[in-house]
Amino acid sequence: MEILANLMHGFAVALEPMNLLWCFIGVFFGTVVGILPGLGPSATVALLLPLTMQMNPTGGIIMLAGIYYGAKYGGSTTSILLNVPGESASVVTCLDGFEMAKNGRAGPALGIAAISSFVAGTVGVVLLMLVAPPVAEFALRFGPPEYFALMALGLSMVVLLAGKSMIKALISMFVGLWLATIGIDMFTDGERYTFDYIELMDGVNFVVVAIGTFAIGEVLANLVSTTGGQMFEVPKGLRNLMPNWQDLKDSRFAFVNGSLIGFFVGVLPGAGSTIASFVSYGVEKAVSKHPEKFGTGVIEGVAAPEAANNSETGGALVPLLTLGIPGSATTAILLAALIIWGMRPGPLLIQDHPEMFWGLVASMYIGNVMLLVLNLPLVPVFAQILRLPAYVLYPLILGVSMIGVYSVDQRLFDCWLVGFLGLLGYLMRKIEYPPAPLILGLVLGDLMENAVRQSLMMSKGDVSILYSRPLAAVMLVLTVLVLIGPMFRRVDIWRLRAAEQDV
Amino acid sequence: MGVWRSLNKSELVAALLLIGVGVFVLMHAWDWPYLTADGPGPGFFPLWIGICIIALAALLVVLQVVHTINQGAVSATNWAGAGRVLGGWSGLMLCIALLQPAGFVVSFLLLVMILVMAVFRRTFLSALIVGVSASAGFWVLFVKLLRVQLPAGPWGF
Repeated sequence: MEILANLMHGFAVALEPMNLLWCFIGVFFGTVVGILPGLGPSATVALLLPLTMQMNPTGGIIMLAGIYYGAKYGGSTTSILLNVPGESASVVTCLDGFEMAKNGRAGPALGIAAISSFVAGTVGVVLLMLVAPPVAEFALRFGPPEYFALMALGLSMVVLLAGKSMIKALISMFVGLWLATIGIDMFTDGERYTFDYIELMDGVNFVVVAIGTFAIGEVLANLVSTTGGQMFEVPKGLRNLMPNWQDLKDSRFAFVNGSLIGFFVGVLPGAGSTIASFVSYGVEKAVSKHPEKFGTGVIEGVAAPEAANNSETGGALVPLLTLGIPGSATTAILLAALIIWGMRPGPLLIQDHPEMFWGLVASMYIGNVMLLVLNLPLVPVFAQILRLPAYVLYPLILGVSMIGVYSVDQRLFDCWLVGFLGLLGYLMRKIEYPPAPLILGLVLGDLMENAVRQSLMMSKGDVSILYSRPLAAVMLVLTVLVLIGPMFRRVDIWRLRAAEQDV
Repeated sequence: MGVWRSLNKSELVAALLLIGVGVFVLMHAWDWPYLTADGPGPGFFPLWIGICIIALAALLVVLQVVHTINQGAVSATNWAGAGRVLGGWSGLMLCIALLQPAGFVVSFLLLVMILVMAVFRRTFLSALIVGVSASAGFWVLFVKLLRVQLPAGPWGF
């Protein structure tokens, strides 16, 4: 009953005209970003973050979350019509989606992608609403040693699945942790790595690093090749987009499978929507009566991964909103947004800011309905975005990046920094150093250092406090297992497969 | 000689640079107190970060050499693609350098023209149309409508 009352309060918040507008803007931009290959939700959330600084935090998080889950709806359109995933979570949709388009069934493929996304997206929000409050209550028992162990576990999971080389992912994470130490030390007021730049006294601006490594880095990486692909036409009229009764019957297990797998994979840090969609596709194929037909254009092959990558959003928001631990680059940027708006992500967030948490949950129900409308009758309109030439799109992204960075503090220093970080982001992609652990290291660095220093203050320098408390010990053991696991051949083969899918 | 020739130089340079970063982090951390009367000092966390970066980057160098001995030559570089990236990035840095003296609108117009003409090989007219509409559109949207403060040149925009 309490959940229902809270949800009603959330709907009252989400249905305020301005919040409805932010939700619409978020899901609209999310769909556009999802459709455009080469521009991911993390880059877009980073780009629009500076513009939300003057906004009400509830409106801001509603909009940024809208981009996050909206991108997953849009990604399928490009996979089906162009055989190029609009974003990494839609890679597996290409397998059967593009084959369906080749067989003249692009309409039902787009239709089932939108419907399964809607069903699973909604299930994901229901599960988020049910799971998050008890997790937050449980996390109230955590002290600094448990937080340190939890962050170590979260970072190790992200490192495990961030790229082909775990060593490179670890280096990327440690560089992020180092960047987090730049500025004034909160315990002693001493300067660290500021090089006498006043601009670095408050630390490296997170927005600058996120925009540089993600938005500008992605644009530069996309300049390497300027060729496009052949696109199928979208059938006109809603009737031609609707799957028939048999299609829906064939997809019914895929809806359930994708919704549940997506959510539970989403809760795990580092796993993400790409892995959720692959696992769900694999399960669907394994239980199918005709597994040999997968890859030739079966509708369940579109429904299962699309359901999973949308349900994953609800799962990924659980550790973010209840523990303050992000599991991916996009949720790391959302965490930074909460900190910038003056909130303290963690177990008290739901208690201290119920209007934000329940407003966000309610807005996700509304956003999913908006996305269903945007992605069914309006998909032919959105598909036209794919005709936007790269020579128009990329300069626009660079322009928004510069405006976003400059508008934070009106400092030219930040523009120079973002330029160099953009090159760094490109080089990291080029030599396969994943940028996600760097961003996570930067966001969690301060919190992690505080947790370890507070723990050692509590124990008067006795390191055993970090592993002698049961919860912390369990999490540290898991961290060690995650880090040494890839030394075993079978684990490493599995890890490489998962990481390749996520790239 | 054969091993050296088939080494992936960019990987090796990156790993060596990272060792340098690790040494830099460590050297500075060395100057700050590791432990204080209250607990860990400001040097505690960066010191361990520096050590980890050095150790991991050194491991990468070793693995790079071993991998090269076992696997042979590396794939060729796409120089045309690298040239486009460098062109785009140089345009961006020029735009940043001109932000203060010329203002956002003019410097962004220049960036768009460089990208469209030099990187995407389009005509001057296409570049001009995209550049003028993008910079004017941004100016109206961000400066006039959203009241975002952007650097203004001698012409007031």
